[in-house]
Amino acid sequence: MTQVGLESVLRLAPGCRLNEHGAGQDLLLIPEGALRMQGPARKIVELLNGERTVQTIIEDLQHRYGSEDAARIETETIALLTRLRDRGALESV
Amino acid sequence: MKYEPKALIAEVTHRCPLHCVYCSNPLEMQRRSEELSTSDWVSIFQQAGEMGVLQLHLTGGEPLARTDLAELIKAGRSSGLYINLITSGVGLDGPKLDALIEAGLDHIQLSFQDIEEGPANEFAGTRSHALKLRMAAMIRERRVGFTLNMVVHRSNLDRLEQMLAFAEQSGAQRVEIAHVQYYGWALKNRDALLPTRAQVDKSIEIVEAARTRLRGRLRIDFVLPDYYAKYPKPCMNGWGHQQMLIDPAGRVLPCHAAGVIPGLELSSTREHPLRWIWEESPAINKFRDESWMPEPCKSCDRRTRDFGGCRCQALLLTGDAAATDPVCTLAPRHDVIEKILAQVNGNSRNEWVYRIDPV
Repeated sequence: MTQVGLESVLRLAPGCRLNEHGAGQDLLLIPEGALRMQGPARKIVELLNGERTVQTIIEDLQHRYGSEDAARIETETIALLTRLRDRGALESV
Repeated sequence: MKYEPKALIAEVTHRCPLHCVYCSNPLEMQRRSEELSTSDWVSIFQQAGEMGVLQLHLTGGEPLARTDLAELIKAGRSSGLYINLITSGVGLDGPKLDALIEAGLDHIQLSFQDIEEGPANEFAGTRSHALKLRMAAMIRERRVGFTLNMVVHRSNLDRLEQMLAFAEQSGAQRVEIAHVQYYGWALKNRDALLPTRAQVDKSIEIVEAARTRLRGRLRIDFVLPDYYAKYPKPCMNGWGHQQMLIDPAGRVLPCHAAGVIPGLELSSTREHPLRWIWEESPAINKFRDESWMPEPCKSCDRRTRDFGGCRCQALLLTGDAAATDPVCTLAPRHDVIEKILAQVNGNSRNEWVYRIDPV
């Protein structure tokens, strides 16, 4: 499978959502269980609205977390999104 | 509490329009008059949410046989649970499906008995296949998680490639290729259901090829029949470790089948808070830690991975629920499995035994 690209537009697949309640707030609920969204991972998933490109999301994160880590933010965001897509948790719009 | 419950399996009814030859419900089914009320279930879901349970699996029987299903979904969702409906699709139509999704349904697992109508209806003991195809199309048109559950066994495993081709174009995100497990009614029909070794080997090849081809598009979950495994499955990820099942009458079990274990003292949500049952009840604690383990489990490195296997299977095949699961090649009673496999791998087809619905 190819990597998620900067122009990709993604959203959570049907049957996948961030947990809204209590202690499990860092969990992405999926049909077979739950994936822990540590650190900025939850923010990244929140930014997937089916309209923003991956590029836009990365720029938002770079702005939010500081641009000295810009390259790392880009690499790690794409890696996370690729993993989630391969897991079936994301769909392309 | 060392053990945090993650999932609640709610058998909301044992009533079902299907009569599958491998039904996983207990041989003694609960009648309609014994079923919990809507408010009983609402209270259970609230308690489960407070205990940190994440997933609610609504199953049966056929959960659609309950007229309050939308209410149950709504209650589960407002208790913070992820709602999965495990269904045959019989009893569903467009407006009803919309109402369930509107109530907060996250995911549907739709079962199929085969990919060809004749055999599918034969295994289900009802003419349900055509309806299931219509339901699959209806689910695909809506925004809800969708898993196909293909139940496989000796008489249909040779059609695995066609099943996967159907799954690929069905709109499902995921397909479970689920080998029949030999509990409940399935044990009665085991000799007609258990696949041959040649079939199992071929099925592994087919699934591996399909996984590579469909990666990122369709997820394939595939579990081998444990009779052919070297080591036992980590049944329920450990007895009383992560999951519990509540039967239609409110009895709490560690799994679908544990009701067969003699002397297991089941507690009911009609009499006790769910937290007490999870933490303190005799049944949930019975095989929870390692103190029950015999050798070779007790000193085995794998005991923290497979927990000695399945207690129900140990009982059904050796007569002792505290024996090492006989599917384990290290088990003293592995000869039981070897005998069954030797028979099956040189056996001709048996007749089905159908079950009837509870009144």
